[in-house]
Amino acid sequence: MIKGTAASDGIGIGKILLLEETVLEFTPHAVDDPASEIKRFHSAVNTLVEETTRDAAALRETAGEKEALIMEGHISLLNDPALKGETENLIKAGQCAEEAYSSMCDMFIGIFSSMDDEMMRQRAADVRDIKAGLLRILLGVKQTKVSDAPKGTVLLTKELTPSVTAGIKKGNIVGIITETGGKTSHSAILARALEIPAVLSVPNATSVLKNDQAVIVDGSAGVVIPDPSFDELNEYTEKREKFLRDKAELEKFRGLKTKGADGAEYELVCNIGKPSDAEKVIEFDGEGVGLFRTEFLFMDRSSVPTEEEQFAAYQKAALILKGKPLIIRTLDIGGDKEIPYMGLEKEENPFMGFRAIRYCLKNRELFRTQLRAILRASAFGDIRIMFPLITCVEELREGKAIIEELKKELTLLGITFNKEIPVGIMVETAAAATIADVLAKESAFFSIGTNDLTGYTMSCDRGNSNVAYLYSALQPAVLRMIERTIRCGVEAGIPVGMCGEAAANPKLIPLLISFGLTEFSVSAPSVLRVRKYIAKWSKAEADRVAKKAMSLTTEQEVSSYLATEI
Amino acid sequence: MVQKHFTVKNAQGFHMRPATNFATAMAAHPCSVIIRFNGKEVNAKSPMLIMAACIKVGSEIDVVCDGEGENEALAIAANMIESGFGE
Repeated sequence: MIKGTAASDGIGIGKILLLEETVLEFTPHAVDDPASEIKRFHSAVNTLVEETTRDAAALRETAGEKEALIMEGHISLLNDPALKGETENLIKAGQCAEEAYSSMCDMFIGIFSSMDDEMMRQRAADVRDIKAGLLRILLGVKQTKVSDAPKGTVLLTKELTPSVTAGIKKGNIVGIITETGGKTSHSAILARALEIPAVLSVPNATSVLKNDQAVIVDGSAGVVIPDPSFDELNEYTEKREKFLRDKAELEKFRGLKTKGADGAEYELVCNIGKPSDAEKVIEFDGEGVGLFRTEFLFMDRSSVPTEEEQFAAYQKAALILKGKPLIIRTLDIGGDKEIPYMGLEKEENPFMGFRAIRYCLKNRELFRTQLRAILRASAFGDIRIMFPLITCVEELREGKAIIEELKKELTLLGITFNKEIPVGIMVETAAAATIADVLAKESAFFSIGTNDLTGYTMSCDRGNSNVAYLYSALQPAVLRMIERTIRCGVEAGIPVGMCGEAAANPKLIPLLISFGLTEFSVSAPSVLRVRKYIAKWSKAEADRVAKKAMSLTTEQEVSSYLATEI
Repeated sequence: MVQKHFTVKNAQGFHMRPATNFATAMAAHPCSVIIRFNGKEVNAKSPMLIMAACIKVGSEIDVVCDGEGENEALAIAANMIESGFGE
């Protein structure tokens, strides 16, 4: 068994096809007729552009638009005036096309690989890819064709390049093993887009594993088993079937409304951290966004983002969501984050200190800029505003008063926005849960942030291993906070959602349904799974389980009991 | 010759897609287009050179257009950079 990086879920069993790096060696030779050598170079570039265009079209079919765009990016690199022009200059100076192009590519590969930016280092792989492609054409070398691989093939290669991927026929390639690349590498993204199990960064894979060798690829565990025994084959065949069954089972929930067993409807939305994540919401069949964290806009930079910049980000997310709800949480930041321009001091106890709504209410200009940007974006979708870390009703009132002022300004300026924009709060402090009855009268909605609510209620830092055992949303104290918050919301007639990790916890779901939660906000990849969990429960059944769970006195009892019910 | 100063504000800076789109847009104009950054001059019609310059969010750059269609080229450049490349 060989360990690697688990990069694309699932299990593949098959025979290895080793994609050896084609030998692209050449002997540099002097050129007497630079004009015809430049012609030869141009015709090779044109051939590769044509091939790449075809590959991009193939990728668009199998792996999707994003991957095709990357391939099309190769075309603009091939046509790059600097790369082309400098190559021509070297040819004019007497070098052959192979040597000239290689040395130009190597220069760029060197520059890109030395950058301290992962994205840019990926570009080195792109240049390597076009260099290999062009040399292959210039030298007339034939390529092992992935598209001819028979059913049950496991691809083994140093690095999964887009041009290799373009040849993959989904039904024939059952697994991918590479020597390089991490979970977020291009190889991984391509494998996931193709839904082919993949294990990456397997040390020396191309020398340890052999062509035609039988192999199991466990892309969920990140394990490769060469020459599997009879027992291993049985074990993994079973695992594979289970994986496919579960996946098919979840796929049945795609495109469906989120409903309980009794037909009651719920809202199943997602937590996102940047505008482009909204695309994932659509991809994973989320029904909107229950929490858009806006911190990303403020991090890794030297000054406060402008209103325009923020507006563009919020508008982008709203446009992608096409009218689906988008709850934007205002800045939630404090002394635990180093943001020099914000003048936040290191605090003894940042989680109890000057942060989130507290900071924003004291830094009016920054807060007003963000709220104005959100208001303006509200003309482009179903945007709602949510304040973090509320502990008393004055904070909500003050925040709402600022919004009212801004609305007047925008109206005077004739700028369009949603005049009825709902303003709600995160319930994530013990204080807010305790006065949920008071807050519910003035808040348009609640969203329970179970991560912080658990930490604050249990007075424990989950990162401290000595006290982390206390950190559980199933603690009777936390359950009572959640129950109270939802009940107060229901009594006041406002919707209550949950955007903490607990919203996707199968043990908690019957309790949340029983308490009256109507919106579940989870990570995009969890959407179908949570929809399936919810479908199991009728209100009556959930009530029975909740009643029993709330009568238990320890976290251990609650957890064990709920395990028997799901 | 016309020129304008910018602070790059899209989170990713001039990475693959912005660099490519920018270079493609600039290549459509007959004038020369140069990005001055960090004491260097970069041919803005080449996505490779733009990426190699490693222009990140917060970078201070000047775009200099010289020749036929320089005003139009600069206006388009300004629009792209200031809109954060639609990110």
